[in-house]
Amino acid sequence: MRAIVAILKRNLTNFTRDKLRLIFSIFMSVFLLFIFSFVMKGAAKGIENPLNYLISGIIIMTVFQTALSNSSNILEDISMGVMKEVLVSPIARWQISIGQVLSSTIIAVAQSLIMIVIGLFMGLSINVIQFLQMLGVMVAVGATFSSLGLYVATLAKSSTTFQIMINVVILPFTFLSGAYIPTTTMPKILLPFVYINPLTYTTAIFRYITLKMGNMSSGALVKAGVAFNVDGFIIMPYMGLIIILTMGLLFFILCVRRFNTADFSNVKVFNPNDK
Amino acid sequence: MSNIIEVKNFTQKYGDFVAVDNISFDVEQGGVFAFLGPNGAGKSTTINTLCTIINKTSGELKINGYDVSDNKDKVRRDIGIVFQDSTLDGKLTIEENLKFHCEIYKVPKNEIKERLDFVLELVDLEDWRKAAVNSLSGGMKRRVEIAKGLIHYPKVLFLDEPTTGLDPQTRAKIWDYIYKLQKQKNITIFLTTHYMDEAEACDKVVIMDHGKIVACDTPYNLKNKYTSRMTKLMVEDEEVLGKYLKENSIKYELSEHMFTIYSNELNMIFDLVSKFKDTIKDFQTNNGTLNDVFLSITGKEIRS
Repeated sequence: MRAIVAILKRNLTNFTRDKLRLIFSIFMSVFLLFIFSFVMKGAAKGIENPLNYLISGIIIMTVFQTALSNSSNILEDISMGVMKEVLVSPIARWQISIGQVLSSTIIAVAQSLIMIVIGLFMGLSINVIQFLQMLGVMVAVGATFSSLGLYVATLAKSSTTFQIMINVVILPFTFLSGAYIPTTTMPKILLPFVYINPLTYTTAIFRYITLKMGNMSSGALVKAGVAFNVDGFIIMPYMGLIIILTMGLLFFILCVRRFNTADFSNVKVFNPNDK
Repeated sequence: MSNIIEVKNFTQKYGDFVAVDNISFDVEQGGVFAFLGPNGAGKSTTINTLCTIINKTSGELKINGYDVSDNKDKVRRDIGIVFQDSTLDGKLTIEENLKFHCEIYKVPKNEIKERLDFVLELVDLEDWRKAAVNSLSGGMKRRVEIAKGLIHYPKVLFLDEPTTGLDPQTRAKIWDYIYKLQKQKNITIFLTTHYMDEAEACDKVVIMDHGKIVACDTPYNLKNKYTSRMTKLMVEDEEVLGKYLKENSIKYELSEHMFTIYSNELNMIFDLVSKFKDTIKDFQTNNGTLNDVFLSITGKEIRS
């Protein structure tokens, strides 16, 4: 437990030390919020309250993207040697993974909280219970994609490779999730991709909460783009949460396994002459 | 004294390449133990295996009685490591780096402050504790690394080339710290180095080449065994000395009026000196160096 807290504390301190990065990551979220909510308003035709619809999508995308790219920190740690120090210390490997995932989740959630505040000024209306539910989903999404990012990071050999890998994941996933462009307005040919995209369900559950859709019928939910009719089988928003959590668990286990087995060859990559 | 490190028939392979070939050695508790050898000799592989970074191919390695493969966490708690490359977090301060280290090594919370003061004083960095590591010089960073390797009071401290790339002044200082520490805490120090003069001061030296141990002894014994004493003489009457040496069939070289004799027979040297003491203008006698030992064992200069 002490080790997890130590890693968490260290990662968060490290994050706040880089002032420029801090400013830019906040600026980026605000920028996205404005651009997308105003520009994409037109694309969200036929949806009641399009601004809220889009804002909620953008907030959850921020969680997703920040969580994913935060994991690049571990590559920095590896090349700086900090990871080597952690790996030769007497802490369990799963604790290292938890510490990393937790810190990147916290950063991602904190950043989205800022966006929620800005969203409130832009016309987003939520009550306390909704907020707590949103927070729960944000943490789940953050943890899931931090695990995914961490796993990808342990596979990548350099931060450049990691950035490319992450971009390949981020772009299609975000645009085919309905966060920016509602799935209901997408051409039919793209729908299979939308259905296999875990982010689709992430966005759906988040919207379901933010837009207070609890009392809507499944037919109306499908129409609003938060439930999905796949060949007659309706995927309800709460199922999306289960999908996300399962995925998170899977990648977390993969991470721990990476740290248990391949960790040392990973470190060796940065020390090719060290035989 | 008991052995703190025991290595038996240790072999390490990377694919077909044999990095370490069936080596065995012991390290006694409380000494300074040096691992010499050129790059690629298998030093770092051995250290990395002892530090639980790499898994061994075969053999038996024990630290403080614990097997390094079966009891990783116990071994990790007992060792401190100063790597060749930095392992510090540049954005954090010295104090934050050391505290982080204390946390992950489970140093009791109420002792952290006291230990911080102790190690920072040892490496003369008390005034810099709030400085970000990125702003420090290379020598200071290395001192922080040493402080960090020590703060959890390890039984064995591994130093992988602790002074490579540092200026002579800093090197001397770092050795001061290492010896001070070794005496104070009776820690066993296991180090690798390229610098032969540094190895001379160690209790025991192992020379490795091509994955094998080629020699293992105290520096003094190694020098006695593998090098010959070099005696230089300058006398007033060179012809007389030359004739005497020839008569007694002692091999010598003469250049720039200086006689150079290679021999370990001390009595012969004493006879020579007492016989010619009135005419000797200059005299010096030296043991061979570890560099000579290395040369005579491996037949080549250290590749660095």
